[in-house]
Amino acid sequence: MSLSRNHFYTYLSAACLVGYGWLLLIGRLKPEEIGTSYDVCLIHHFAHIPCPACGSTRSVLALMHGDIAGGIYWNPLGFIMFALLIALPFWIGYDLALKKETLFKFYHLFEDTLRRKWVAIPAIALILANWVWNIWKNV
Amino acid sequence: MDAQNVDMFLFANSKYLEDYQMPVIRERMLAMDEGHWRMLQYMQFNDPVIILIISLITGPLAIDRFIIGDVGLGVAKLLTCGGLGIWVLVDWIMIMGITRRKNTEKLMMSLY
Repeated sequence: MSLSRNHFYTYLSAACLVGYGWLLLIGRLKPEEIGTSYDVCLIHHFAHIPCPACGSTRSVLALMHGDIAGGIYWNPLGFIMFALLIALPFWIGYDLALKKETLFKFYHLFEDTLRRKWVAIPAIALILANWVWNIWKNV
Repeated sequence: MDAQNVDMFLFANSKYLEDYQMPVIRERMLAMDEGHWRMLQYMQFNDPVIILIISLITGPLAIDRFIIGDVGLGVAKLLTCGGLGIWVLVDWIMIMGITRRKNTEKLMMSLY
């Protein structure tokens, strides 16, 4: 069975809550301490190289303090996370209040778009380039 | 469709599909015309064991999710370091069942 609208919104709300909890837990640490104190990335833990998303928590924290250069340095993917963490609660609330499913439809549109070769190939290339930069920076 | 062909197809692909859906799939296939047989013969399924191996090796990169067609969840898993590592562990247990479910959905869509 495909994901239903209500299940989708429940999972997404739970994911947002975990994200806020994670930021609260991590936010009290210095950026340099985060990579060593809470090493949740299995690739970083076992292979000792960062994954493409390593540093995105530090990037979100930098953006929360208005440090855009820091946000780019730690991981540009942090911008996406930051935007999602701000927008999703409002979007979910809007859909639930007005009994709409604009976010659910957007999710399916996003999936369909990303399945197209001309979108998927540049996206994969960007992720790989970001990964190489992450490894080079050793975040 | 010919019952022998249907049974042969189900026997050959049983490891890719959900067991409890087999009677429904068989019934539906038997009701179909012979023209669909060629299309079904060329249908490709993801092997749950291969997906599990990919999940074990490249869990936080979400390649397993991308291969089975969960693009949105794959992006979410990739951007969150494999759901802070927890999603990766959960997928190691669940991914074979999810792959069979996806294969069954794909087959069902072609049967209806």
